[in-house]
Amino acid sequence: MSDGQRSPTPGDGQIVVSGLTKQYKNLRAVDDLSFAVRPGRVTGFLGPNGAGKTTTLRMLLNLVTPTSGSATIDGRRYADLTDPLRHVGAVLEASSAHKGRTGINHLRVICAAAGLPRGRADEVLELVGLTPAAKRKFKGYSLGMKQRLGIAAAMLGDPRVLILDEPANGLDPEGIRWMRGFLKGLAAQGRTVLVSSHLLSEMQLLADDVVIIAAGKLVRQGPVEQVMSSMTAGGRVRVRTPQADELVAALREQGATVTPDEHGVLLVDGVDAPTVGRTALAAKAELHELGTERPDLERVFLELTAGKAGIR
Amino acid sequence: MNLVRSELLKIRTTNAWWLLGLGAFLSLVLAFAFNAFYAHQVLGGNAEEFGASGEAATVAGQAANIYTSGQFLGLLFVMLIGILMVTNEFFHQTATTTFLTTPRRTSVIVAKLIAASLLGFAFWLVTTLINLAAGAIFLTVDGHGAQLGEWTVHRALLFNLLAYAIWTILGVGIGTLIPNQLGAVITAAVLYLVGTQVVQLLFLALSAWLDSQAILKWQVVWPAVASLVMISGEKSDILPAWWVGALVLIGYALASGVVGVLITRRRDIA
Repeated sequence: MSDGQRSPTPGDGQIVVSGLTKQYKNLRAVDDLSFAVRPGRVTGFLGPNGAGKTTTLRMLLNLVTPTSGSATIDGRRYADLTDPLRHVGAVLEASSAHKGRTGINHLRVICAAAGLPRGRADEVLELVGLTPAAKRKFKGYSLGMKQRLGIAAAMLGDPRVLILDEPANGLDPEGIRWMRGFLKGLAAQGRTVLVSSHLLSEMQLLADDVVIIAAGKLVRQGPVEQVMSSMTAGGRVRVRTPQADELVAALREQGATVTPDEHGVLLVDGVDAPTVGRTALAAKAELHELGTERPDLERVFLELTAGKAGIR
Repeated sequence: MNLVRSELLKIRTTNAWWLLGLGAFLSLVLAFAFNAFYAHQVLGGNAEEFGASGEAATVAGQAANIYTSGQFLGLLFVMLIGILMVTNEFFHQTATTTFLTTPRRTSVIVAKLIAASLLGFAFWLVTTLINLAAGAIFLTVDGHGAQLGEWTVHRALLFNLLAYAIWTILGVGIGTLIPNQLGAVITAAVLYLVGTQVVQLLFLALSAWLDSQAILKWQVVWPAVASLVMISGEKSDILPAWWVGALVLIGYALASGVVGVLITRRRDIA
C-alpha cells in the first residue's frame, strides 16, 4: 500500500446515486438526487450549508435509511458489501473516537471487527504520519491529528473507494496541503475519491470533477473546467486606461456593462477582450492593461446556487 | 467472533472497566466485613437479636451470604458496564465507525450481548474467588467449617452467576433504549437502587387497598425484586418461588435484547 500498489478488489469503483430522496418530518433534505462518481479522479461534492451533502453521504453508507431511491458502490448497496472496509473507506466526523482510547487502540478495535490483521493499524498510522502519537489518547489530539486518524481508519482495508465529509475543516494550511497531496495521490492510483466541502478555493485546487447540489437537488455535475466554462461565457475583462471616460462611453455603445473598481481598473462584462481592444483603438484610448479574469469556482458556485442556499 | 473480540477490546482499551471493577471490589470488601460480622453474631447465639430466622440462621445460610458478598452493588456496576458498551458509541460518536465496519447491525448488538455476558461472568468469577478464599478462612477460623459441600452455598453461587450475566445484558438493553449516556445511567441506577423500596411500598399499599395478600407476589415483575427473589431462594408467604424471579429476569434480558436489536436496526445514525 505504502508503495502505491494495491490488491485489486472486485467491482468497478463507481459510486452511483439514483433518485435518492430523504424526507424528514418537515424537510425534504435530499430530493430525487442522481449523480455518478468515476474512479481515478477526485470528485468534489459541493453545496451550501444544509444542502443535504452529509445526509446524502450517510445514505450512501447505510447509516441513514433513504425514503426512496438507491445508492450503490461497486454496483452494490453498502449494506450488501461482504467486506465493506475493503471496498470503501469513509471519514465522517473528526471526533469519532472514544476520548479515553489511544489512537492505535482505536484502529485495533476496527481491525478486530473487520477481521483485518492487527499490524494494519501500525501501517496506516505510518501512512498518515501519526506514528509518534500512536499511544496518546484521542482527547489529546489536535483537530488535524483527529482528521489524520480518521483517514488512517478509512485506509485500513486498502479500499478502492474513499468518501470524505469536509476533511479540510479545521486544518491549518500545512494540513490542508498534506490532505490535497494525499487525496490526489490516491486518485492517481486509480481509486475513487469523493470529497464533500464548502471550501471552494480548496476544491478548485483539488477536484477533477464536481457535483453541485443546493436545497437537496442536483444543480450541476461534470469536470470542473466544463462546469466553469458553461457558466461564464468569455468571463470578465479587466482594462486600465488614462482615458477612462472615453473608453467607458465607447464600450457602453457596444452594449457592455462597465464597472470601475477602486484601483482605477475598469471591469467589463458582456464583450470579450479583443472587442475591448478594438473599441479602445477606435476611441484612441491608450491601454495600460488588458486581460480576461479567469472565472473561479466560487463565483460559479454562487451563481449556480443563488437563492437556493440558506436556512430551509 | 471477530465482533465479540472487538467489543471486548473496546472495553479493555478504556478506563471504565477497572474503575467499575475497583468500585465492585470496594463494595465487596465493605459487604464482606459486614456479612462476616453478622455471621459471627448470628451463629454465635444472637440470631434473634439480629433478626435472622429459618435458613438465614443456619451455618450454610450464613456461608452463602458471605460467599456472595458485594453482590448488591456489583450487579449495579456490571449493569453500568453494559450501558456504557452501548451509550459510549453515541456519546463518543463511534457508532458511525462501528456500523461502517459492520453494516449488519443485528450482529453488532448480538456481539455486545455476548461480550456483556462474558464480562458479567468475569466479574462473578473474580468476586467469587475473592469471597471463597476470604470466606473459607473466616468461617474456619470462626469455627464453623468452610461449608463448601452445601447445596445452599452452591445454589447461591450459581444464581449469583446468573444474576451477573443477566444484569449486564439488561444494561446493554437499557443502553439501546436510552442512547443518552447520562439518561441511561441515571434511569438504571434509580430503577435498581430506589426502585425496589418504592415498588415494595406501592405493592403494600395496593395489597391493603384490595385487601389481598396475593397481590404482593406480583412485585416480582420488577427486575430488582425478581433478582432478589431468585437469589434468596427461600420459601416465603408473600413472595413467589425463586424460579419465578429467574424467569422474569430472563424474560427482561430477552425482551431488552430483542427490542435493542429492532431499534438499532431502524435508527438513523446522524
